[in-house]
Amino acid sequence: MHIPDGYLDLNIAGLFLVLTLLVLGYSIYRLRGEKLTSLFGVLSAAIFAAQMLNWPIPGGTSAHFVGGALAGILLGPYAGCLAMAIVLTIQTLVFNDGGITAWGANVWNMAIVDVFIGYYVYRALSGFNRNLAAFIAGWLGITVAAIFAGIEIGLSSSFAYGLAVTVPVMGTWHAALGIIEGTITAGVVSYIATRRAELLEKKEVGKASFVLLAALIALSPVFAYLAESVGYSEPLENAAKILGLEENPIYEGLLPDYSIPGLDPYAGTLISGAVGVLIVLALAYAVRYARSNRKNA
Amino acid sequence: MHVVIERTLKNASSYFQNFFLQDYPTKGTLHSIDPRVKLLSTLLFVILAVSTFEPKKLIFLLFSLIAISAILGLNLRRLFSRVWLFSLFSFVVVLPLLLQDPKYPFLFTLRVLIALVSVQMLIMSSSFAEICSALRSLKVPEVFVQGLWLAYRYIIVVFQDIINILLARESRRVSKGSHMDLWKRGGESVGLFFLRSIERAERVQLAMASRGDKIFGIRSKFGILEIIYIALSLFIVLWCIVL
Repeated sequence: MHIPDGYLDLNIAGLFLVLTLLVLGYSIYRLRGEKLTSLFGVLSAAIFAAQMLNWPIPGGTSAHFVGGALAGILLGPYAGCLAMAIVLTIQTLVFNDGGITAWGANVWNMAIVDVFIGYYVYRALSGFNRNLAAFIAGWLGITVAAIFAGIEIGLSSSFAYGLAVTVPVMGTWHAALGIIEGTITAGVVSYIATRRAELLEKKEVGKASFVLLAALIALSPVFAYLAESVGYSEPLENAAKILGLEENPIYEGLLPDYSIPGLDPYAGTLISGAVGVLIVLALAYAVRYARSNRKNA
Repeated sequence: MHVVIERTLKNASSYFQNFFLQDYPTKGTLHSIDPRVKLLSTLLFVILAVSTFEPKKLIFLLFSLIAISAILGLNLRRLFSRVWLFSLFSFVVVLPLLLQDPKYPFLFTLRVLIALVSVQMLIMSSSFAEICSALRSLKVPEVFVQGLWLAYRYIIVVFQDIINILLARESRRVSKGSHMDLWKRGGESVGLFFLRSIERAERVQLAMASRGDKIFGIRSKFGILEIIYIALSLFIVLWCIVL
Protein backbone atom coordinates (compact mmCIF):
# COMPACT_ATOMS: atom_id res chain seq x y z
CA MET A 1 0.00 0.00 0.00
CA HIS A 2 3.08 2.25 0.13
CA ILE A 3 2.68 4.86 -2.61
CA PRO A 4 6.04 5.63 -4.28
CA ASP A 5 7.23 8.95 -5.70
CA GLY A 6 5.87 9.69 -9.17
CA TYR A 7 2.41 8.18 -8.63
CA LEU A 8 0.78 11.24 -7.01
CA ASP A 9 0.27 14.75 -8.35
CA LEU A 10 2.08 17.33 -6.25
CA ASN A 11 -1.17 19.10 -5.28
CA ILE A 12 -2.68 15.84 -3.96
CA ALA A 13 0.61 14.98 -2.19
CA GLY A 14 0.70 18.51 -0.71
CA LEU A 15 -2.91 18.33 0.48
CA PHE A 16 -2.29 15.06 2.32
CA LEU A 17 1.00 16.33 3.72
CA VAL A 18 -0.82 19.28 5.30
CA LEU A 19 -3.61 17.06 6.69
CA THR A 20 -1.05 14.59 8.04
CA LEU A 21 1.06 17.30 9.69
CA LEU A 22 -2.07 18.70 11.34
CA VAL A 23 -3.04 15.34 12.84
CA LEU A 24 0.55 14.41 13.85
CA GLY A 25 1.04 17.87 15.35
CA TYR A 26 -2.17 17.50 17.33
CA SER A 27 -1.13 14.02 18.47
CA ILE A 28 2.25 15.33 19.69
CA TYR A 29 0.41 18.15 21.46
CA ARG A 30 -1.92 15.66 23.16
CA LEU A 31 1.02 13.54 24.31
CA ARG A 32 3.02 16.48 25.70
CA GLY A 33 4.44 15.82 29.14
CA GLU A 34 3.83 12.06 28.89
CA LYS A 35 6.99 9.95 28.94
CA LEU A 36 5.95 7.76 26.04
CA THR A 37 8.87 8.16 23.61
CA SER A 38 10.36 4.77 24.44
CA LEU A 39 6.95 3.08 24.31
CA PHE A 40 6.13 4.14 20.78
CA GLY A 41 9.79 3.96 19.74
CA VAL A 42 10.23 0.32 20.78
CA LEU A 43 6.71 -0.63 19.68
CA SER A 44 7.43 0.93 16.27
CA ALA A 45 10.41 -1.41 16.01
CA ALA A 46 8.14 -4.30 17.07
CA ILE A 47 5.51 -3.39 14.45
CA PHE A 48 8.27 -3.14 11.86
CA ALA A 49 9.48 -6.65 12.80
CA ALA A 50 5.92 -8.04 12.87
CA GLN A 51 5.39 -6.68 9.34
CA MET A 52 8.23 -8.94 8.20
CA LEU A 53 6.31 -12.08 9.19
CA ASN A 54 4.81 -13.67 6.11
CA TRP A 55 1.74 -15.66 7.06
CA PRO A 56 1.05 -18.71 4.89
CA ILE A 57 -2.34 -18.87 3.18
CA PRO A 58 -3.72 -22.16 1.76
CA GLY A 59 -2.85 -22.25 -1.94
CA GLY A 60 0.85 -21.52 -1.64
CA THR A 61 0.79 -17.76 -1.13
CA SER A 62 1.38 -15.55 1.89
CA ALA A 63 0.52 -12.09 3.23
CA HIS A 64 1.94 -9.79 5.88
CA PHE A 65 0.58 -7.82 8.79
CA VAL A 66 0.40 -3.97 8.80
CA GLY A 67 -0.50 -3.32 12.44
CA GLY A 68 -2.25 0.07 12.33
CA ALA A 69 -5.35 -1.03 14.25
CA LEU A 70 -3.23 -2.96 16.76
CA ALA A 71 -1.05 0.12 17.36
CA GLY A 72 -4.21 2.14 18.06
CA ILE A 73 -5.64 -0.50 20.41
CA LEU A 74 -2.39 -0.94 22.39
CA LEU A 75 -1.19 2.67 22.52
CA GLY A 76 -4.32 4.74 21.97
CA PRO A 77 -4.90 6.70 18.76
CA TYR A 78 -2.34 9.48 19.34
CA ALA A 79 0.70 7.42 20.31
CA GLY A 80 -0.49 4.73 17.88
CA CYS A 81 -0.49 7.07 14.91
CA LEU A 82 2.95 8.41 15.91
CA ALA A 83 4.29 4.84 16.16
CA MET A 84 2.99 3.99 12.70
CA ALA A 85 4.30 7.29 11.31
CA ILE A 86 7.75 6.34 12.67
CA VAL A 87 7.58 2.92 10.98
CA LEU A 88 6.59 4.53 7.68
CA THR A 89 9.31 7.21 7.96
CA ILE A 90 12.00 4.56 8.54
CA GLN A 91 10.65 2.58 5.59
CA THR A 92 10.87 5.72 3.42
CA LEU A 93 14.24 7.05 4.59
CA VAL A 94 16.09 3.77 5.09
CA PHE A 95 14.52 1.29 2.68
CA ASN A 96 13.04 3.67 0.10
CA ASP A 97 9.69 1.90 0.57
CA GLY A 98 7.15 4.67 -0.11
CA GLY A 99 8.04 7.99 -1.69
CA ILE A 100 9.30 11.14 -0.03
CA THR A 101 6.69 13.29 -1.77
CA ALA A 102 4.06 10.64 -1.00
CA TRP A 103 5.05 10.47 2.70
CA GLY A 104 2.07 12.60 3.74
CA ALA A 105 -0.39 10.40 1.85
CA ASN A 106 1.18 7.16 3.12
CA VAL A 107 1.13 8.34 6.73
CA TRP A 108 -2.44 9.57 6.27
CA ASN A 109 -3.58 6.15 5.01
CA MET A 110 -1.65 3.75 7.22
CA ALA A 111 -0.90 5.79 10.34
CA ILE A 112 -3.99 7.97 10.67
CA VAL A 113 -6.98 6.40 8.88
CA ASP A 114 -5.99 2.83 9.80
CA VAL A 115 -5.09 3.64 13.43
CA PHE A 116 -8.02 5.95 14.23
CA ILE A 117 -10.65 3.78 12.52
CA GLY A 118 -9.16 0.65 14.10
CA TYR A 119 -9.13 2.24 17.54
CA TYR A 120 -12.69 3.61 17.46
CA VAL A 121 -14.21 0.51 15.90
CA TYR A 122 -12.54 -1.59 18.60
CA ARG A 123 -13.79 0.76 21.34
CA ALA A 124 -17.33 0.75 19.94
CA LEU A 125 -17.57 -3.03 19.63
CA SER A 126 -15.33 -4.43 22.38
CA GLY A 127 -18.24 -4.37 24.85
CA PHE A 128 -20.01 -7.01 22.76
CA ASN A 129 -17.12 -9.30 21.91
CA ARG A 130 -13.45 -8.34 22.30
CA ASN A 131 -12.06 -10.71 19.66
CA LEU A 132 -14.70 -9.87 17.08
CA ALA A 133 -14.12 -6.16 17.75
CA ALA A 134 -10.36 -6.57 17.19
CA PHE A 135 -10.99 -8.55 13.99
CA ILE A 136 -13.37 -5.93 12.55
CA ALA A 137 -11.03 -3.11 13.65
CA GLY A 138 -8.08 -4.73 11.83
CA TRP A 139 -10.12 -5.57 8.74
CA LEU A 140 -11.95 -2.23 8.41
CA GLY A 141 -8.88 -0.11 9.21
CA ILE A 142 -6.77 -1.63 6.45
CA THR A 143 -9.63 -1.71 3.94
CA VAL A 144 -10.56 1.97 4.41
CA ALA A 145 -6.85 2.91 4.33
CA ALA A 146 -6.50 1.11 0.99
CA ILE A 147 -9.59 2.85 -0.38
CA PHE A 148 -8.03 6.19 0.58
CA ALA A 149 -4.82 5.16 -1.22
CA GLY A 150 -6.93 4.26 -4.28
CA ILE A 151 -8.65 7.66 -4.18
CA GLU A 152 -5.34 9.54 -3.90
CA ILE A 153 -3.76 7.66 -6.82
CA GLY A 154 -6.94 7.71 -8.88
CA LEU A 155 -7.36 11.48 -8.52
CA SER A 156 -3.76 12.09 -9.63
CA SER A 157 -3.47 12.85 -13.33
CA SER A 158 0.16 11.57 -13.31
CA PHE A 159 -1.22 8.06 -12.85
CA ALA A 160 -3.21 7.32 -15.98
CA TYR A 161 -5.69 4.95 -14.34
CA GLY A 162 -8.75 6.73 -12.94
CA LEU A 163 -10.76 6.24 -9.78
CA ALA A 164 -12.91 3.65 -11.54
CA VAL A 165 -9.86 1.37 -11.65
CA THR A 166 -7.78 2.33 -8.60
CA VAL A 167 -10.48 2.36 -5.91
CA PRO A 168 -12.00 -1.07 -6.74
CA VAL A 169 -8.54 -2.63 -7.18
CA MET A 170 -7.17 -1.29 -3.90
CA GLY A 171 -10.43 -1.72 -1.98
CA THR A 172 -11.24 -5.25 -3.15
CA TRP A 173 -7.75 -6.67 -2.69
CA HIS A 174 -7.31 -5.16 0.72
CA ALA A 175 -10.80 -6.18 1.82
CA ALA A 176 -9.64 -9.75 1.14
CA LEU A 177 -6.17 -9.28 2.67
CA GLY A 178 -7.81 -7.43 5.57
CA ILE A 179 -9.21 -10.77 6.77
CA ILE A 180 -5.63 -11.76 7.60
CA GLU A 181 -4.96 -8.40 9.26
CA GLY A 182 -8.15 -8.80 11.30
CA THR A 183 -7.32 -12.38 12.30
CA ILE A 184 -3.80 -11.49 13.49
CA THR A 185 -5.09 -8.40 15.34
CA ALA A 186 -7.73 -10.54 17.06
CA GLY A 187 -5.13 -13.22 17.94
CA VAL A 188 -2.76 -10.68 19.49
CA VAL A 189 -5.51 -8.83 21.38
CA SER A 190 -6.93 -12.13 22.68
CA TYR A 191 -3.48 -13.18 23.98
CA ILE A 192 -2.75 -9.82 25.61
CA ALA A 193 -6.23 -9.83 27.22
CA THR A 194 -5.35 -13.06 29.02
CA ARG A 195 -1.92 -11.85 30.20
CA ARG A 196 -2.08 -8.08 30.77
CA ALA A 197 -5.63 -6.94 30.26
CA GLU A 198 -4.86 -3.46 31.64
CA LEU A 199 -2.98 -2.67 28.40
CA LEU A 200 -6.29 -2.89 26.54
CA GLU A 201 -8.14 -0.54 28.84
CA LYS A 202 -9.70 2.56 27.36
CA LYS A 203 -7.12 5.26 26.61
CA GLU A 204 -8.07 8.80 27.59
CA VAL A 205 -8.78 10.54 24.31
CA GLY A 206 -11.37 13.19 25.14
CA LYS A 207 -13.91 14.86 22.92
CA ALA A 208 -11.34 16.51 20.67
CA SER A 209 -10.53 13.12 19.18
CA PHE A 210 -14.15 12.69 18.17
CA VAL A 211 -13.89 16.04 16.41
CA LEU A 212 -10.73 14.80 14.71
CA LEU A 213 -12.42 11.61 13.58
CA ALA A 214 -15.49 13.53 12.46
CA ALA A 215 -13.18 15.78 10.42
CA LEU A 216 -11.62 12.67 8.91
CA ILE A 217 -14.99 11.26 7.92
CA ALA A 218 -16.22 14.67 6.80
CA LEU A 219 -13.43 14.72 4.24
CA SER A 220 -15.10 11.91 2.33
CA PRO A 221 -17.69 14.20 0.69
CA VAL A 222 -14.82 16.48 -0.38
CA PHE A 223 -13.33 13.52 -2.18
CA ALA A 224 -16.72 12.82 -3.71
CA TYR A 225 -16.73 16.42 -4.92
CA LEU A 226 -13.29 15.95 -6.42
CA ALA A 227 -14.43 12.69 -7.95
CA GLU A 228 -17.32 14.52 -9.60
CA SER A 229 -14.97 17.14 -10.97
CA VAL A 230 -12.80 14.49 -12.63
CA GLY A 231 -15.84 12.75 -14.11
CA TYR A 232 -15.79 9.61 -11.96
CA SER A 233 -18.46 7.02 -12.61
CA GLU A 234 -19.08 3.55 -11.18
CA PRO A 235 -17.36 0.65 -13.00
CA LEU A 236 -20.78 -1.04 -13.31
CA GLU A 237 -22.18 2.11 -14.94
CA ASN A 238 -19.28 2.06 -17.42
CA ALA A 239 -19.97 -1.60 -18.20
CA ALA A 240 -23.69 -0.82 -18.70
CA LYS A 241 -22.79 2.05 -21.04
CA ILE A 242 -20.54 -0.21 -23.14
CA LEU A 243 -23.28 -2.85 -23.33
CA GLY A 244 -25.94 -0.24 -24.20
CA LEU A 245 -28.05 -1.03 -21.13
CA GLU A 246 -30.42 1.50 -19.62
CA GLU A 247 -31.24 2.08 -15.97
CA ASN A 248 -34.82 1.27 -15.00
CA PRO A 249 -35.09 2.03 -11.26
CA ILE A 250 -37.96 0.62 -9.19
CA TYR A 251 -37.36 3.17 -6.43
CA GLU A 252 -35.06 6.16 -6.86
CA GLY A 253 -34.45 6.85 -3.16
CA LEU A 254 -34.49 10.15 -1.30
CA LEU A 255 -31.20 11.32 -2.80
CA PRO A 256 -31.09 9.63 -6.24
CA ASP A 257 -27.55 8.92 -7.47
CA TYR A 258 -26.08 11.01 -4.59
CA SER A 259 -27.80 14.18 -5.83
CA ILE A 260 -30.67 16.46 -4.83
CA PRO A 261 -33.20 17.07 -7.60
CA GLY A 262 -33.11 20.70 -8.73
CA LEU A 263 -29.75 21.42 -7.10
CA ASP A 264 -26.32 21.81 -8.69
CA PRO A 265 -24.83 18.25 -8.99
CA TYR A 266 -21.62 19.16 -7.08
CA ALA A 267 -23.52 20.77 -4.22
CA GLY A 268 -25.96 17.83 -4.28
CA THR A 269 -23.09 15.33 -3.94
CA LEU A 270 -21.59 17.29 -1.05
CA ILE A 271 -24.91 17.49 0.80
CA SER A 272 -25.66 13.80 0.10
CA GLY A 273 -22.27 12.87 1.52
CA ALA A 274 -22.90 14.97 4.62
CA VAL A 275 -26.36 13.42 5.09
CA GLY A 276 -24.84 9.93 4.79
CA VAL A 277 -22.20 10.76 7.39
CA LEU A 278 -24.83 12.13 9.76
CA ILE A 279 -26.99 8.99 9.39
CA VAL A 280 -23.99 6.73 10.15
CA LEU A 281 -23.00 8.86 13.16
CA ALA A 282 -26.60 8.88 14.44
CA LEU A 283 -26.82 5.08 14.12
CA ALA A 284 -23.48 4.64 15.89
CA TYR A 285 -24.63 6.95 18.67
CA ALA A 286 -27.93 5.05 18.95
CA VAL A 287 -26.10 1.72 19.33
CA ARG A 288 -23.83 3.26 21.98
CA TYR A 289 -26.83 4.72 23.83
CA ALA A 290 -28.70 1.41 23.70
CA ARG A 291 -25.63 -0.40 25.05
CA SER A 292 -25.11 2.00 27.94
CA ASN A 293 -28.83 1.72 28.82
CA ARG A 294 -28.56 -2.06 28.83
CA LYS A 295 -25.51 -1.91 31.10
CA ASN A 296 -27.27 0.47 33.51
CA ALA A 297 -30.31 -1.81 33.62
CA MET B 1 4.06 -24.47 6.80
CA HIS B 2 5.67 -23.55 10.11
CA VAL B 3 8.93 -23.27 8.26
CA VAL B 4 7.54 -20.41 6.12
CA ILE B 5 7.18 -18.01 9.06
CA GLU B 6 10.49 -19.04 10.60
CA ARG B 7 12.39 -18.88 7.32
CA THR B 8 11.05 -15.46 6.25
CA LEU B 9 11.83 -14.12 9.68
CA LYS B 10 15.38 -15.48 9.73
CA ASN B 11 15.99 -14.16 6.22
CA ALA B 12 14.57 -10.76 7.15
CA SER B 13 16.61 -10.68 10.34
CA SER B 14 19.90 -11.53 8.63
CA TYR B 15 19.09 -9.04 5.84
CA PHE B 16 18.56 -6.22 8.31
CA GLN B 17 21.61 -7.11 10.38
CA ASN B 18 23.72 -6.99 7.20
CA PHE B 19 21.94 -3.84 6.09
CA PHE B 20 22.65 -1.98 9.32
CA LEU B 21 26.23 -3.22 9.55
CA GLN B 22 26.86 -1.99 6.01
CA ASP B 23 25.76 1.52 6.83
CA TYR B 24 29.10 2.89 5.67
CA PRO B 25 30.72 0.35 3.33
CA THR B 26 32.88 2.95 1.55
CA LYS B 27 33.33 6.66 2.08
CA GLY B 28 33.23 8.90 -0.95
CA THR B 29 32.95 12.66 -1.27
CA LEU B 30 29.14 12.48 -1.15
CA HIS B 31 29.41 10.90 2.33
CA SER B 32 31.29 13.94 3.62
CA ILE B 33 28.60 16.44 2.61
CA ASP B 34 26.36 17.76 5.39
CA PRO B 35 23.21 15.56 5.56
CA ARG B 36 20.97 18.66 5.84
CA VAL B 37 22.14 19.70 2.37
CA LYS B 38 21.68 16.18 0.99
CA LEU B 39 18.20 15.87 2.53
CA LEU B 40 16.98 19.15 1.05
CA SER B 41 18.56 18.55 -2.35
CA THR B 42 16.99 15.06 -2.44
CA LEU B 43 13.62 16.65 -1.80
CA LEU B 44 14.24 19.16 -4.60
CA PHE B 45 15.25 16.46 -7.10
CA VAL B 46 12.23 14.30 -6.26
CA ILE B 47 9.82 17.24 -6.58
CA LEU B 48 11.44 18.16 -9.88
CA ALA B 49 11.12 14.59 -11.19
CA VAL B 50 7.46 14.15 -10.22
CA SER B 51 6.36 17.54 -11.52
CA THR B 52 7.13 16.97 -15.20
CA PHE B 53 6.50 14.53 -18.05
CA GLU B 54 8.88 16.24 -20.48
CA PRO B 55 11.39 13.69 -21.80
CA LYS B 56 14.31 16.12 -22.19
CA LYS B 57 13.96 17.37 -18.60
CA LEU B 58 13.68 13.86 -17.19
CA ILE B 59 16.64 12.56 -19.20
CA PHE B 60 18.75 15.57 -18.19
CA LEU B 61 17.86 15.05 -14.54
CA LEU B 62 18.61 11.32 -14.63
CA PHE B 63 22.01 11.81 -16.27
CA SER B 64 22.88 14.66 -13.91
CA LEU B 65 22.13 12.51 -10.86
CA ILE B 66 24.06 9.54 -12.23
CA ALA B 67 27.02 11.83 -13.03
CA ILE B 68 26.97 13.34 -9.53
CA SER B 69 26.77 9.87 -7.95
CA ALA B 70 29.66 8.54 -10.03
CA ILE B 71 31.91 11.59 -9.53
CA LEU B 72 31.20 11.86 -5.80
CA GLY B 73 32.02 8.23 -5.07
CA LEU B 74 28.81 6.19 -5.06
CA ASN B 75 28.97 2.66 -6.42
CA LEU B 76 26.72 2.80 -9.49
CA ARG B 77 26.23 -0.96 -9.63
CA ARG B 78 24.91 -0.96 -6.05
CA LEU B 79 22.79 2.08 -6.80
CA PHE B 80 21.06 0.40 -9.74
CA SER B 81 20.72 -2.90 -7.91
CA ARG B 82 18.57 -0.99 -5.40
CA VAL B 83 16.32 0.79 -7.90
CA TRP B 84 15.77 -1.46 -10.92
CA LEU B 85 13.20 -3.80 -9.41
CA PHE B 86 10.70 -1.17 -8.37
CA SER B 87 11.19 0.77 -11.61
CA LEU B 88 10.40 -2.42 -13.53
CA PHE B 89 7.34 -2.99 -11.34
CA SER B 90 6.10 0.54 -12.11
CA PHE B 91 6.64 -0.08 -15.82
CA VAL B 92 4.60 -3.30 -15.68
CA VAL B 93 1.78 -1.49 -13.83
CA VAL B 94 1.37 1.13 -16.58
CA LEU B 95 2.27 -1.16 -19.51
CA PRO B 96 -1.40 -1.78 -20.49
CA LEU B 97 -1.58 1.93 -21.42
CA LEU B 98 1.12 1.50 -24.09
CA LEU B 99 -1.40 1.36 -26.93
CA GLN B 100 -3.23 4.51 -25.80
CA ASP B 101 -0.07 6.57 -25.39
CA PRO B 102 3.19 4.83 -26.34
CA LYS B 103 5.33 7.41 -24.51
CA TYR B 104 3.47 7.38 -21.19
CA PRO B 105 4.74 4.07 -19.67
CA PHE B 106 8.37 5.04 -20.38
CA LEU B 107 8.06 8.58 -19.03
CA PHE B 108 6.13 7.41 -15.96
CA THR B 109 8.83 4.81 -15.21
CA LEU B 110 11.55 7.40 -15.78
CA ARG B 111 9.97 9.70 -13.17
CA VAL B 112 9.81 6.85 -10.65
CA LEU B 113 13.41 5.83 -11.46
CA ILE B 114 14.73 9.38 -10.94
CA ALA B 115 12.90 9.70 -7.62
CA LEU B 116 14.31 6.35 -6.46
CA VAL B 117 17.86 7.31 -7.53
CA SER B 118 17.56 10.65 -5.68
CA VAL B 119 16.47 8.98 -2.44
CA GLN B 120 19.12 6.25 -2.77
CA MET B 121 21.80 8.93 -3.15
CA LEU B 122 20.79 10.15 0.31
CA ILE B 123 20.39 6.70 1.86
CA MET B 124 23.65 5.28 0.50
CA SER B 125 25.72 8.27 1.61
CA SER B 126 24.26 9.01 5.07
CA SER B 127 23.86 6.99 8.24
CA PHE B 128 20.43 7.04 9.87
CA ALA B 129 21.88 8.93 12.84
CA GLU B 130 22.96 11.70 10.46
CA ILE B 131 19.52 11.79 8.85
CA CYS B 132 17.90 12.04 12.30
CA SER B 133 20.25 14.88 13.29
CA ALA B 134 19.45 16.63 10.00
CA LEU B 135 15.71 16.27 10.68
CA ARG B 136 16.22 17.72 14.16
CA SER B 137 18.18 20.65 12.70
CA LEU B 138 15.29 21.25 10.31
CA LYS B 139 13.00 21.65 13.36
CA VAL B 140 11.18 18.32 13.14
CA PRO B 141 9.74 17.82 16.68
CA GLU B 142 12.17 16.16 19.09
CA VAL B 143 9.65 13.57 20.27
CA PHE B 144 9.21 12.31 16.70
CA VAL B 145 12.93 12.23 15.84
CA GLN B 146 13.74 10.54 19.15
CA GLY B 147 11.09 7.89 18.48
CA LEU B 148 12.49 7.43 14.98
CA TRP B 149 16.02 6.91 16.28
CA LEU B 150 14.91 4.60 19.07
CA ALA B 151 12.84 2.46 16.68
CA TYR B 152 15.76 2.19 14.27
CA ARG B 153 18.18 1.11 17.02
CA TYR B 154 15.79 -1.50 18.42
CA ILE B 155 14.84 -3.19 15.14
CA ILE B 156 17.62 -5.81 15.44
CA VAL B 157 16.89 -6.38 19.15
CA VAL B 158 13.19 -7.01 18.55
CA PHE B 159 14.00 -9.28 15.60
CA GLN B 160 16.10 -11.37 17.96
CA ASP B 161 13.17 -11.42 20.42
CA ILE B 162 10.69 -12.72 17.88
CA ILE B 163 13.13 -15.36 16.62
CA ASN B 164 13.70 -16.56 20.19
CA ILE B 165 9.94 -16.79 20.81
CA LEU B 166 9.36 -18.76 17.61
CA LEU B 167 12.34 -21.02 18.32
CA ALA B 168 11.05 -21.78 21.84
CA ARG B 169 7.57 -22.57 20.52
CA GLU B 170 8.99 -24.68 17.70
CA SER B 171 11.12 -26.73 20.11
CA ARG B 172 8.03 -27.49 22.21
CA ARG B 173 5.90 -28.50 19.20
CA VAL B 174 5.32 -32.25 18.87
CA SER B 175 2.98 -32.51 15.86
CA LYS B 176 2.82 -30.81 12.49
CA GLY B 177 -0.63 -29.31 13.11
CA SER B 178 -3.11 -27.71 10.72
CA HIS B 179 -3.38 -24.19 9.29
CA MET B 180 -5.75 -23.39 12.13
CA ASP B 181 -3.18 -24.49 14.75
CA LEU B 182 -0.50 -22.48 13.04
CA TRP B 183 -2.61 -19.31 13.04
CA LYS B 184 -3.60 -19.85 16.66
CA ARG B 185 -0.02 -20.42 17.81
CA GLY B 186 1.20 -17.61 15.55
CA GLY B 187 -1.29 -15.19 17.12
CA GLU B 188 -0.12 -16.21 20.59
CA SER B 189 3.53 -15.80 19.58
CA VAL B 190 2.97 -12.34 18.14
CA GLY B 191 0.89 -11.45 21.23
CA LEU B 192 3.77 -12.54 23.49
CA PHE B 193 6.20 -10.64 21.27
CA PHE B 194 4.21 -7.41 21.64
CA LEU B 195 3.93 -7.94 25.40
CA ARG B 196 7.70 -8.35 25.69
CA SER B 197 8.20 -5.27 23.52
CA ILE B 198 5.95 -3.22 25.80
CA GLU B 199 7.84 -4.47 28.87
CA ARG B 200 11.14 -3.67 27.16
CA ALA B 201 9.84 -0.18 26.34
CA GLU B 202 8.96 0.36 30.01
CA ARG B 203 12.54 -0.59 31.03
CA VAL B 204 14.03 1.58 28.28
CA GLN B 205 11.94 4.54 29.46
CA LEU B 206 13.34 4.15 32.98
CA ALA B 207 16.89 3.90 31.61
CA MET B 208 16.36 6.98 29.44
CA ALA B 209 15.00 8.92 32.39
CA SER B 210 18.04 8.04 34.50
CA ARG B 211 20.78 8.73 31.97
CA GLY B 212 19.12 11.17 29.52
CA ASP B 213 18.95 10.59 25.80
CA LYS B 214 18.69 13.37 23.26
CA ILE B 215 19.13 13.73 19.55
CA PHE B 216 21.03 16.91 18.91
CA GLY B 217 20.70 18.86 15.69
CA ILE B 218 23.78 19.57 13.61
CA ARG B 219 25.13 23.00 14.40
CA SER B 220 28.26 23.12 12.24
CA LYS B 221 28.48 25.71 9.47
CA PHE B 222 28.56 24.74 5.81
CA GLY B 223 32.03 24.28 4.27
CA ILE B 224 33.22 24.67 0.70
CA LEU B 225 31.99 21.15 -0.18
CA GLU B 226 28.44 21.95 0.93
CA ILE B 227 28.46 25.27 -0.95
CA ILE B 228 29.60 23.52 -4.15
CA TYR B 229 26.91 20.84 -3.72
CA ILE B 230 24.20 23.46 -3.12
CA ALA B 231 25.35 25.39 -6.20
CA LEU B 232 25.35 22.18 -8.25
CA SER B 233 21.87 21.22 -7.08
CA LEU B 234 20.49 24.70 -7.79
CA PHE B 235 22.12 24.67 -11.21
CA ILE B 236 20.43 21.36 -12.05
CA VAL B 237 17.08 22.66 -10.79
CA LEU B 238 17.32 25.93 -12.75
CA TRP B 239 18.57 24.18 -15.89
CA CYS B 240 15.68 21.74 -15.67
CA ILE B 241 13.20 24.61 -15.34
CA VAL B 242 14.54 26.59 -18.32
CA LEU B 243 15.14 23.51 -20.51
